[in-house]
Amino acid sequence: MKTDAMEIEVLSYRGIDVLKVYGDIDLYSSPGLRKNLISIICKKPGTLLVDLSNVSYIDSSGIATFVEGLKNMMCYGGRLKFIGLPDRIREIFSFSRLDKVFEIYDGIDQAI
Amino acid sequence: MKETLLEIPSHPKYLSVVRSVIKKLCEIFNVEDSITEDLKLAVDEACTNIIRHAYRDDFTRKISIRLRVSRRRFQAIIEDDGEQTPEQALRGRDLDDVRPGGLGMHFIKKTFDEVRYERHKDINRLTLSREL
Repeated sequence: MKTDAMEIEVLSYRGIDVLKVYGDIDLYSSPGLRKNLISIICKKPGTLLVDLSNVSYIDSSGIATFVEGLKNMMCYGGRLKFIGLPDRIREIFSFSRLDKVFEIYDGIDQAI
Repeated sequence: MKETLLEIPSHPKYLSVVRSVIKKLCEIFNVEDSITEDLKLAVDEACTNIIRHAYRDDFTRKISIRLRVSRRRFQAIIEDDGEQTPEQALRGRDLDDVRPGGLGMHFIKKTFDEVRYERHKDINRLTLSREL
């Protein structure tokens, strides 16, 4: 499934929460992403995986959402991990120097 | 240079329309995929700045975008009649100071050779140009 409109799926893999995002993350869709992300983080999971393998676009508002999520999790010692970054998204994270603060893994098994 | 004029409401849901038009224009002029993606992001960020700073999240205003493309050059002239864009929004934050916000202008400056902001008679005009 791949559409421009963002969709979110929340699932559990071996007891770990996984937030799977599809489509474009921009100023229009990032509030929905933030709502989902914050509602999971409020439960203080030890680890939260964000699967970006089906994300075709991300802008600064999407990045800001993840930075906020990371900071919220760091407050209580939680770990926010990213998996499946397409090359373009990885390039944007790298340019933004976020590859130095985000935990990035190729796939789910490397991340857990 | 062919010109395409877009006038969109200042609602975030129209940003995908701008990106789609840039993508199609880049296809017509055989622009490299990686450059196309940079152009989409940079123009999107410029419109985002207008919505957030010039219009302060008023989604009922208008944004005018003139796209001039040839095989050698891409230019976007983006206008709004909102408040003057604050200096900080034109600078962006220090990239090493990781916090939410302040990245948009970095994406714009990374993509375009020329970034010119002017204010004339209550109109903000951002001119973005690059060689292809």
